[in-house]
Amino acid sequence: MKTEDLIARLARDAAPVRRLPSPGALMARWLLLTLPVLAAVVLMMGPRPDLAGLLAQPRFLLTEGLAAATTVISAYAAFCAGRPDQPTWKLFMPVAAFLIWLAELGRQCFVLSVQTNGAALVLHADWLCVPAIAMTALVPAAAMVWLLRHSAKFRPTHACLCGTMAAAAAAECALPLFHAADTMMMVLVWQMGSVALFTMLGAMAARLGLNTL
Amino acid sequence: MTEEDPNWRIWLAAAQAGDQRAYAALLAAALPWLRRRARGRWPGASTADIEDMLQETLLALHQNRHLYDPARPVQPFLFGILKLRGADLRRRRHRHAGRETALEDLPADTSALMTHGTQEHDAEQAGLQKALASLGERDRQVLGLLKIRQLSLKEATAETGMSVAALKVASFRAVQRLKQALKGGADED
Repeated sequence: MKTEDLIARLARDAAPVRRLPSPGALMARWLLLTLPVLAAVVLMMGPRPDLAGLLAQPRFLLTEGLAAATTVISAYAAFCAGRPDQPTWKLFMPVAAFLIWLAELGRQCFVLSVQTNGAALVLHADWLCVPAIAMTALVPAAAMVWLLRHSAKFRPTHACLCGTMAAAAAAECALPLFHAADTMMMVLVWQMGSVALFTMLGAMAARLGLNTL
Repeated sequence: MTEEDPNWRIWLAAAQAGDQRAYAALLAAALPWLRRRARGRWPGASTADIEDMLQETLLALHQNRHLYDPARPVQPFLFGILKLRGADLRRRRHRHAGRETALEDLPADTSALMTHGTQEHDAEQAGLQKALASLGERDRQVLGLLKIRQLSLKEATAETGMSVAALKVASFRAVQRLKQALKGGADED
């Protein structure tokens, strides 16, 4: 078919369409759905007894802030990924945020290991982390899929990767409020490992064709 | 990127509302611009490839026109689609290239166009067998003895009990009928 003929056919088929909200507006909707769910999970699981003291620690506030920043940036990037006019650098912002968050946790782990003569490096199995993050991330992830269903038409793997990272980072943001990790190494390996694992699973799901929802 | 015609935004926003004339105007105005951008981005691509990319881009625009925000210019939106769909198409072509052979530079009668070396011979033989099968029993017998087994007239008379003259006539008529059958087969094709 000639391109000019295609244009004529497309023009004849121009039914009205509902304009999609901007990435920022979609991100705001996702946060509106996600934040109450995270709050409910923390209340249901029971906040840590030492939470008030932790909230006064700059170290704890910094990691929570970085987790929240990764959540927001990843969600925004997920909604940008499907838009053809959004620049590619926006899709790499979550990677930068995640690396800064990881670097800060690594720095804290190093400092604490020196201060505690290596006690912060103790690592043992913590099988609660993976299901706890998975359960906490379930509703944010479902909300993300729901909001992405009309917008992830381009670069769907990026959209799924950023979307899963946002949901996992949101869960990781809530997790320290109700679950205490024994050492910093536990946080690094189990909690951040879970975030990385779920992000990879999200990207794999997109590669397997689950992006046609 | 050249300065965008302000009408493009108005036309695409109207197309989102279902205005067919505005949509046709936008697509007609955008096509030469897209073609230029595609040639600039992929200078080595053939004309057919460029047209394929343009058609993919227009189809993607049609399916995703709800993603356009009228507050933003149209050209980055169109060029973004062209980049993504063009790269997809080139990836697909590249992936299939290893299993394909370009035939554009080959002469039309080259044996490379044949699936295998005996294809023509096999096709002729199949046609001949079909024509033979359409003949009568006597014709087939005469042709079989004289043309396929290549017996002499004398040997053939011993097998058929016919006279030499009768065999000659029967052979001539069988060949004529075979020619007719082959011609008929060719006409059918």
